[in-house]
Amino acid sequence: MNTPLLAPRETFATLTDRVSDITLERPTGRLWLLAFALSFVLTAWLGAGIVWLLAKGVGIWGLDMPVAWAFAIADYVWWIAIGMAGTFISGGLYLARQGWRNALNRYAEAMTVFAVSVSGIFPILHLGRPWFFYWLAPYPDRMGLWPQWRSSLFWDFSAIVAYLIVSVLYFYVGLIPDLATLRDRARTRGKQVFYGLLAIGWRGEARHWQRFETLNLLLAAMAVPLVFSVHSMVALDFSEGLLPGWHSTIFPPFFVAGALFSGFGMVLVLGIPLRHFFGLGDFITERHLDNLAKLMLAAGLFVDYSYASEMFNAFYSGDRYEIAHAMQQLTGAYAWVYWTIIGCNAVSIQALWFPRVRRSHAALFAIALLVLIGMWFERFLLIVSSLYHDFLPSSWGMFYPTFWDIAFLAGSIGLFFLLFLLFVRLLPLLPMFELRKLRARLEREGA
Amino acid sequence: MTRPTARDALRTRLGDSRGPRYWRALEEIIEQPAWRSRLHEAFPQLARLEPALDRRDFLKLIGASLALAGLGACSRPPQEQIVPWVRRPDQLPPALPRFYASTLACAGDVAGVLVETHQGRPTKIEGNPAHPMSLGATTPAMQAAVLELWDPDRSQGPVHDGVAASWDAFRAEAGRLAARFARDGHGLHVLGGRLDSPTLAAQRDAWLARFPGAQWHAYEAIDDDNALAGARLAFGTPLRTRHRVDRARVILALEADFLGSQPGSLRHARDFIAGRDPASEEFNRLYVVEASPTLTGARADHRWALDSAHIGMVALELGDLLGLPGVHAPQASGMSARRLRALARDLADQRGTSLVLAGRTQPPWVHALAHLLNEALGNVGHTVDYYEPAEPWVSSADGLRELTRAMAAGTVDTLLLLDGNPLYATPVDAQFARLLARVPHRIHLGLYRDETALACQWHLPRSHALEGWSDLRAADGTASPVQPVIAPLYDSRSTHELLAMFLGDTQSPRERVQATWHADDDAWRASLQSGVIPHSAPPAQHPRVDDAFLGHIPTPADQPGLELLFAPDPTVWDGRYANNGWLQELPKPLTALTWSNVALVSPELALAHDLKNGDALEMRIDGRHTQAPVWVMPGQAARSVTVWLGYGRRHAGRVGGQLGFDAYALRTAAAPWRVDGLRVNRTDAHYALATTQRHHAMEGRAPVRATTLDAFRTDPAIAQGHAQDPPSLYPDRLHGDYAWGMSVDLNACIGCGACTIACQAENNIPVVGAAEVERGREMHWIRVDRYYEGDVRAPRIHHQPVPCMHCEHAPCEVVCPVGATVHDAEGLNVQVYNRCVGTRFCSNNCPYKVRRFNFLQYSDLHTETLKAQRNPDVTVRNRGVMEKCTYCIQRIETAHIAADKAGRRIADGEVLTACQAVCPTQAIVFGDQQDPATAVSRQKASPRHYTLLEELNTRPRTTYLASIRNPHPALEDDA
Repeated sequence: MNTPLLAPRETFATLTDRVSDITLERPTGRLWLLAFALSFVLTAWLGAGIVWLLAKGVGIWGLDMPVAWAFAIADYVWWIAIGMAGTFISGGLYLARQGWRNALNRYAEAMTVFAVSVSGIFPILHLGRPWFFYWLAPYPDRMGLWPQWRSSLFWDFSAIVAYLIVSVLYFYVGLIPDLATLRDRARTRGKQVFYGLLAIGWRGEARHWQRFETLNLLLAAMAVPLVFSVHSMVALDFSEGLLPGWHSTIFPPFFVAGALFSGFGMVLVLGIPLRHFFGLGDFITERHLDNLAKLMLAAGLFVDYSYASEMFNAFYSGDRYEIAHAMQQLTGAYAWVYWTIIGCNAVSIQALWFPRVRRSHAALFAIALLVLIGMWFERFLLIVSSLYHDFLPSSWGMFYPTFWDIAFLAGSIGLFFLLFLLFVRLLPLLPMFELRKLRARLEREGA
Repeated sequence: MTRPTARDALRTRLGDSRGPRYWRALEEIIEQPAWRSRLHEAFPQLARLEPALDRRDFLKLIGASLALAGLGACSRPPQEQIVPWVRRPDQLPPALPRFYASTLACAGDVAGVLVETHQGRPTKIEGNPAHPMSLGATTPAMQAAVLELWDPDRSQGPVHDGVAASWDAFRAEAGRLAARFARDGHGLHVLGGRLDSPTLAAQRDAWLARFPGAQWHAYEAIDDDNALAGARLAFGTPLRTRHRVDRARVILALEADFLGSQPGSLRHARDFIAGRDPASEEFNRLYVVEASPTLTGARADHRWALDSAHIGMVALELGDLLGLPGVHAPQASGMSARRLRALARDLADQRGTSLVLAGRTQPPWVHALAHLLNEALGNVGHTVDYYEPAEPWVSSADGLRELTRAMAAGTVDTLLLLDGNPLYATPVDAQFARLLARVPHRIHLGLYRDETALACQWHLPRSHALEGWSDLRAADGTASPVQPVIAPLYDSRSTHELLAMFLGDTQSPRERVQATWHADDDAWRASLQSGVIPHSAPPAQHPRVDDAFLGHIPTPADQPGLELLFAPDPTVWDGRYANNGWLQELPKPLTALTWSNVALVSPELALAHDLKNGDALEMRIDGRHTQAPVWVMPGQAARSVTVWLGYGRRHAGRVGGQLGFDAYALRTAAAPWRVDGLRVNRTDAHYALATTQRHHAMEGRAPVRATTLDAFRTDPAIAQGHAQDPPSLYPDRLHGDYAWGMSVDLNACIGCGACTIACQAENNIPVVGAAEVERGREMHWIRVDRYYEGDVRAPRIHHQPVPCMHCEHAPCEVVCPVGATVHDAEGLNVQVYNRCVGTRFCSNNCPYKVRRFNFLQYSDLHTETLKAQRNPDVTVRNRGVMEKCTYCIQRIETAHIAADKAGRRIADGEVLTACQAVCPTQAIVFGDQQDPATAVSRQKASPRHYTLLEELNTRPRTTYLASIRNPHPALEDDA
């Protein structure tokens, strides 16, 4: 595809005007208000759920014996996975010097920060006594008690905290030059103060730029390994268990692939409407969407390979419990979930082989949405299918979600979009300074 | 006895545990003129306040009494001298629990018990090893008696016409009635229950002598009339039967659940299992013919499902084959000739060491026939003998019939209802409620203000069995004393005291019981200490059977319709334990159901009517009808439908109301156990049934290993898996002073569930309710798994108790991020509740799923009496933490302290876990497994020893011994 990465008519001046106007000048749209109201209602539902949970206990969810983990952990894994793609796009492609990342990295990073924040709610609230969550942290206390180092949950906790810190820093540092631009262009006192404080005195000096570039590179170099470590750690939460379907050493790469897969899906699900409603076609071009679709397909194929290898290994192992678990997935009570996953994550993405599909925004959006749904179900199945039928038939049971399980899932989506909608209104959607650099580079190369 | 002052009476009246009730009770009291005058006596200040007396002033005035009322209700020592059962010769320091020997009559069975008390509070029941019908074990219902004692819904004071009254007022009433009936007792009727207390029997005689013409009826919803009527048929007098199951080599049970619901089950179970040691030469064989699977059927070597109506025919055919004169079946039973021949040969081969038993649901002639068969097989004097109890038998059916007839005729003036709930627990055609309303004076004595209490003018609270003196006679005739272990919590009286009130008997309750036994103080003290009255069992008799009854054997109706069978509920019995949360939540054997009764249908019937578990079944019979949830029962006879009595209570209390359906609505007085002509209809409604086990097939994983005796003798290692532990990356555990281990002998387990409820009592395990059980959140630390194997119409049934395995390489410990579950040096996998944050990863990673999580706040932290029940040595867990079996670590620690003080090692058998202590068949053995001399080490050295899920290399400390069946060689393909 020969579409340029930045529409030729966008000059240094126009692109800065257009992006900063979205934040500074564009009036609040009715659609935005509607979306905000909807997200707010969902978030309030989540808030009610949290209050009720703290008052009553995790028993308000449908958890039981043997299925002692279900929605909350599925939600957690799903959200943290979505975060991965943002870091991968902004950090990974940055290190790989892929110019097409520039239009995407800002909102993808915002997506990362919000998704990781939302995901962090779940591991804490799913504890029986959430007010003691800090016992997982290694801190010196009077009793000389430390976390239990062999547990993957401790390392998982550490990985999330590290990742949250780095991704927030990386997001913020990357914003500073653009915040300064907004400060300079703001016409009301309030906005000048707001952006002025956030811009922490950025004056665009060469020394600033030099330090900025160094820090940005360092953060990118720290963030990218974290993409892999966090999701590998999440995978080990399951691998460490000896349940059939969990006890598998190849989970980490599969989890990383799954994370990128759903992350690219979310980047598309957010990007296509942004591009449409804010008229960003000059920046997020067909070529961007095409590249994202190809990446999603590639990650999806890796995920599909993992499904196949899981099945193969189950039967190849000859292990009674692994085979029974595989058969349960194919034909058991949750077979409908398994086949939904196959439909969403294996079948639907095959359409992306066709350039025409990749050019159709509606089709891309629909497939990306299916991938997101499929990946949520995958996590749900991973957790529940191993737990509901484990070793002793006497303890087999089912999982039935309650009203509050749904509330936390829907509410977390509401909270994510609430944060994202605020981001859209308050911060520059696209990295102006990087686009200007891209303009300069394109002119240097092309002209 | 001094008249209690008004202040005392008021204080006891106010000893109510529930806050809101204080107010209502006070208001009621102020409203009553009688009480107002009493108050003046107690609080002269009131006279001055009277014009302005409002509730606030009143409360202020007696605030102090209120405070005292709470204390008074708690742990007063009993007034009479009671004698502790001495566990150790030395005097116990006050902090240690004391044990008192007593006796409990629960669910139709009587056994001696030891009541554990902490600072005067009874907290746990253990069996009395010295009592021949307990031998240290108890039934589940006996375990639950301690919860019944502390039940906050117990009736707490006399009620007259719906308002609080006093015992003084009733004493006056009793005096009036006694005077009225002193010369002519006609019109004075008493309805009591089973008469198994010699003292009560003596009081009954005194009553009938004192009030000539008065009538005493006895009614039990679950009676043994058929057995006694059968003995009368056979011997001319209603002799009681003593079975010596341990001497029997071949046993035939004709619908006789002698391991489960029949009196003497604890002893029978012990004796039965004693005869099944695979290491010994002798190994008994059990044949069971029954319509609905019971615990006995589940343990049978041959269990043959047959509709109840034809079971007698099997006995006749068998008698015919054995060549008994005059015995032949008027109708074929349907049992194959091959089975009958093999059975007859087996019985005949074991003359003198065989045993035939008939169940309470079989008609009297089948019992008589069983006596005849035992006589013909030479068993009398060997495996069975007879005795005549000192107390007369009062037929339950006759009792109810005579009373209802008199009530209908209007000749009942005053009816004294002694501790029963006939308004609920009588057959629908007795029309008890309607007739009772016609009786002018109705007095009810009972633990609860139940359905019957609400229909009576007077309701009097009865003291709990742990609160008063009495005596009881067990199934073998042994009598034993009942001694109070706590002063009555409420303003209650025992049955004896109530009768004494009428009789003008001024003896103290203890003197009365002691007088029954003409015991001097030393002898009395000795029997209180041991819990048994020596030489009280009547001598054995060996009467001849008169076979005249053979001429009057009815032919079963030859119709292909359905038969309806009634059975006591496996846990709540006839409904009397409906408000007992432990029993409600105890999974019923074989179905694992909780909190409801069901209609058991056969798989064939389910197929024919397209029935699934929980479907609402419309049941009609002779114009009576009800709706019941269906349970498809593997092994149920094709055309038999069984319903459990005991549910559908309307006024049982906060726990037991509105559960299940009332099966009495289908029952008639004439046919209490079996009736033909049932019609069923599937409806579209559905019941949610709370069961603790949803999957009953082993899926080829063989968690229960079982083999036949022949196969075992050929290859003793047949049940064993790997000889050696597979290698592990983890280091072997450091060895401490002890290595605690447990062995569960599946060959001994009969699946009664006593271990589950004993553990619940010992370890303060909360009750979670039907909705939570339905979600799979029950909290029992030891569960009894059931597996069905083979043909669904005639399955083999396996039981497997599963506590925590205490794995040496525990998967739960690795995954806990805060180290809340760790290993101690003696091999216990311990749970640190304080450290637990509730990730539940440990439970996910437990292959045995023995961990239990407090998803919500399950422990009741507010009800005062329930707090008093708890074991002070065990932490009460709050929401959000994981818990599980600890091997009763508190008992281990108690033994540690005692041993350390004496500077010795803990002896083998010094630590009994709660599940081990209660087990009637001693299937559970616990001890130090690194000492080869201990019982547990010897068990683990057995060739039957195996490890559950050994392929996971978790190296559990709890291991199993395989089960051995002993089918008849000629019938091996036909279990």
